Order: sequence, then C-alpha cells, then structure tokens
Amino acid sequence: MTLLHAERGLRDLAEPERSTARLPRRETPRRELSSRAISAITILVALLAWTVVTRLGLVAPLFLPPPQDVLAKFWKVMSQGFVDATLLQHLLASLGRVFAALVAATLVGIPVGLAIGTSRIGRGIFDPVLEFLRPIPPLAYLPLVIIWFGIGEQAKVLVIAIAMVAPIALSTASGVRNVQQDRLSAARSLGATRRQVIRFVVLPSALPSILTGLRIALGAGWTTLVAAELVAATRGLGFMIQSAAQFLVTDVVVMGIFVIAAVAFVLEFGLRRLERRLVPWAGRE
Amino acid sequence: MSTLLLSNIAVRYTGQPRPAVEGASLSVAHGEFVVLTGRSGCGKSTLLNVAAGLVLPERGEVSVDGRLIEGPGADRAVVFQSDALFPWFSARDNVAFALRLRGIGERQRHVLANELLKRVRLEGLGDKPVWEMSGGMRQRVGLARALAAEPDFLLMDEPLGALDALTRERMQTLLLDIWAPGNLGVLMVTHGIEEALLLGTRVVVMAPDPGRIAHTFEAGFSRRYAAGEPVRSIKADRAFAAARAELADAIFEGEPA
Repeated sequence: MTLLHAERGLRDLAEPERSTARLPRRETPRRELSSRAISAITILVALLAWTVVTRLGLVAPLFLPPPQDVLAKFWKVMSQGFVDATLLQHLLASLGRVFAALVAATLVGIPVGLAIGTSRIGRGIFDPVLEFLRPIPPLAYLPLVIIWFGIGEQAKVLVIAIAMVAPIALSTASGVRNVQQDRLSAARSLGATRRQVIRFVVLPSALPSILTGLRIALGAGWTTLVAAELVAATRGLGFMIQSAAQFLVTDVVVMGIFVIAAVAFVLEFGLRRLERRLVPWAGRE
Repeated sequence: MSTLLLSNIAVRYTGQPRPAVEGASLSVAHGEFVVLTGRSGCGKSTLLNVAAGLVLPERGEVSVDGRLIEGPGADRAVVFQSDALFPWFSARDNVAFALRLRGIGERQRHVLANELLKRVRLEGLGDKPVWEMSGGMRQRVGLARALAAEPDFLLMDEPLGALDALTRERMQTLLLDIWAPGNLGVLMVTHGIEEALLLGTRVVVMAPDPGRIAHTFEAGFSRRYAAGEPVRSIKADRAFAAARAELADAIFEGEPA
C-alpha cells in the first residue's frame, strides 16, 4: 500500500513538469489569448473596417459594396437566382464538376503514384510527365483543352482533373515509398506475393498520405474552378462571378467569393473528418 | 525433423568497409531453441535476416534439409522487434492475414485466428485495434501471426527488446510454452544475458568487427522448464548464476573494461 502511494506521489510530481514543457516560457504567468481567439478578433476587425469604410462612403459601392448588401444579395440569389439559376444550382453545378474531376484524377493518380513508388520503370515514365504538368497554371492549358475537347462539360472536368492528378500521384508515391520496411518483410516472410504485398500492405500503409493528397487535390481543383467555367458555361459559381463582373454587379462578385471560400472550408473540414475515420492509426504509432 | 542450416555466411552491406558477418555457420533443428547474442554491431540481426531470406549473403548458403533457401518463406516465420503489425487490421485480422496467405477460407480463418490469440493469452481481444494495444500485447499478436503460418522455424529479432522488465518476464515464459511441445525450431536474437540463458538450448555468442561467431554454449535451463520446473526455481539455481557469469565474460571478451 505504502509502496503504491509512493509511486503515485512521484507521478504527481512528474505531471506538471510535462504540462509546462512549452516553448518559449514566460517568467510571470499571464492569461494569454489562444491563436484561435486572435483569428476571431482579426475577422471581426476586418468586418468592422469593411462596414465603417462603406458606411462613411469612403469607397463607392461599385468597388466595395457594404456587407449588408452582400448578405442581402446572398438571400436574393438563393431564392430568386442570378443569370437564370439559383445559388444552389450554381453551387451544385460547380460541386458536380469538381467531384467528377476528383474521381477521374483519383483513378489516374493513385495507379500512377503506385507505379512511381514501386517501380523503377514507372518512376522513369511518370516523373517527368508530372513535373511538366505540375507547375502549369490551368489558364495556360485551358485553350488547348478546348481546342481538343470542345466546350462541353467534359472539357471543364478535364481542366480541373489535370490540376488534381499531380498532387494525388505525388502523395501516393511518397506514401508508398515510406512504407515501413519491417511490414514489407513481415508480409513477405509470411509468404505474400508481390501483388499481395501491394494490396494488403503497401496501399493501406500509403492511405494516410493518399488522403492528404486528395485533400490537396480538392483544394487545387476548387481553385481551378473559375478558369474551368470561363468558357461556355451556363451554371456554376465561377460562371456566376464572371457574369456578375461583366455587368458590374460587384455585390454578387463578393458574395460568390465568400461562397467559394466557405465551400472550400467545409470540404477541407469534411475530408479531415474522413481521414480520422478511415485511418485512425495514422500518427499514433 | 527438419534442420535449418547456415553455412559459412558472409554479408557485406554496400558502403561498409568491414563485412557485417564473416564466415558464420549455424544450425537450428526442430526442438532446439538457439539464441544469438553479443554486443551491438556484431551482426546477430543480420545473421537472423539471412536465415529468414530477407538478406542475401555475399557468400555461403542457407538450406532447410538440403533444400537451398533463396528468399523469405512461410516455413521460417519472423517476429520483429518493431512488431511490424498492420495497424489497419484488428488483432484478429493481423493473424488471419497469415492464414489467408495459406489459402484458408474466411470462416475458418476467424476460428483459427481466435484459437491462436488464445494461445498467446489474448483471448477475447480479437476485435481490438492493434494501435490501441500495449507493447507486450502487440508482440503477442505478432507471435500469433507468425505461428499462423505454421512455420517449421520461428525467427525472432529481439522480440522482447522494447518491453518493460515485468512484461518481458511474462513473455519469456510464453515463448517457452510455445517452444516446449518441440514441433518448432527457434532462432532468437537478444541482448539479454539472463534471457539468453533461460530460453536457449544453445547460446551462440557473436563478436563484432567483423561480425563472427565467437563462442557456443550448450544450455539446459529451458529443458528443465519444459520438464516442469518453474522459472523462479531455475533462476535461483547456483548453476544459473555461474553460467550467467561465464556468458557475460564471453560477451564482453576483448572489450576494454
């Protein structure tokens, strides 16, 4: 009993040591704002500045409409629509393209990444292709895609998908290359064939990295959206913003930017949740 | 009764001036528990990996009953210090994976995996994710997975190296219980002098620069355990203490005090 108590006492002493092991340390303890709180304040200050500047008439509404106008426009486009479609229809059109592109890019990117990560020949073939594609801005290859594939839906999906392939393939390859050697050895010594090792060990090992790649790809695809909807679109958030810009309806432009940002935030959040569900072991070993 | 034979093995890793192992010969028969020990860098893990077929020797050959070994195989299952479990599988599925590779159907896999988990004293924990398990439990899952391959030889690379002292003692008796029926040949690498003596029917001491076999001791303590004597009484025996001192001398031979 006394022995147990003694051990407990030791642990209690050790506890605060660990919890204060944060850098850098202050001499006098003081209440500090978390960076989350600072972020909230930053946003509030920006909103306030925006309101004051527009309320005082320092900037013409054509250049910067007041926040309440943007909010009002949000409700109006939600219910009545803008350029022949409601906000929800624009949103769904854009989401549909981005997700179709995600599926296509995944179907291409994962096998390519696997080839780069597992085979000398695969790396030789695909590395230069990816390194070539990766830095090109979507607006640069858009004209070529249109010349080749026309102005239909598939060209728009393709423009987005091209931007997504590289992050997915490169993340897959890096995940594949970082598989623990002991796990490969274990599977091989249990009699697994090369194909079985890839299916049961390499791919699941790389899954956390692949999911990170999908998250980056979704961000990249969403960024490419406006470019993809430049030509011959009748719906979509990017299309909505461009149309609004042509008619100088600045409040719709600003509202559209906010909607795109909000959707990107939600997608990112959702994918992080998915990661925690699918690969709960990642980072805990 | 098969025998795993390593003859005149030499291994040199690229970029290393001295060979990791030079001229090492070793045999492990069914029913034997051979322990490889020695100071760090003496090539004991390398030699075990050669036996597993995971490292190909520069010279020398590995054979089982005259059949030449040229790669890893389920007849020589390996247990790793890092446990090398698959965290995307539950404990049971880790074990069932080895059964699957043997072509056993799903329903039977489930039953057999549960039996194997029971054998390593993890009964009822099959559904637990391995990343939530303690080091000792994980090592037992790794052991069950290796046994699921129904190997002739069990090769263990410091399987208890990362465990705390108490867990380690419990695992030592578990290993003895697994070995005692005599249908397995065991080759195990360890740093623990007492562990080597308690478990090994033969203790092979390696020395570094270049890695080579320096001494071989026949030890009978694990046979006494198999005959029914408790571990505590074995360790209390004067002969155990004497053998321990002798083994320690052999391991630290030639090292400045």
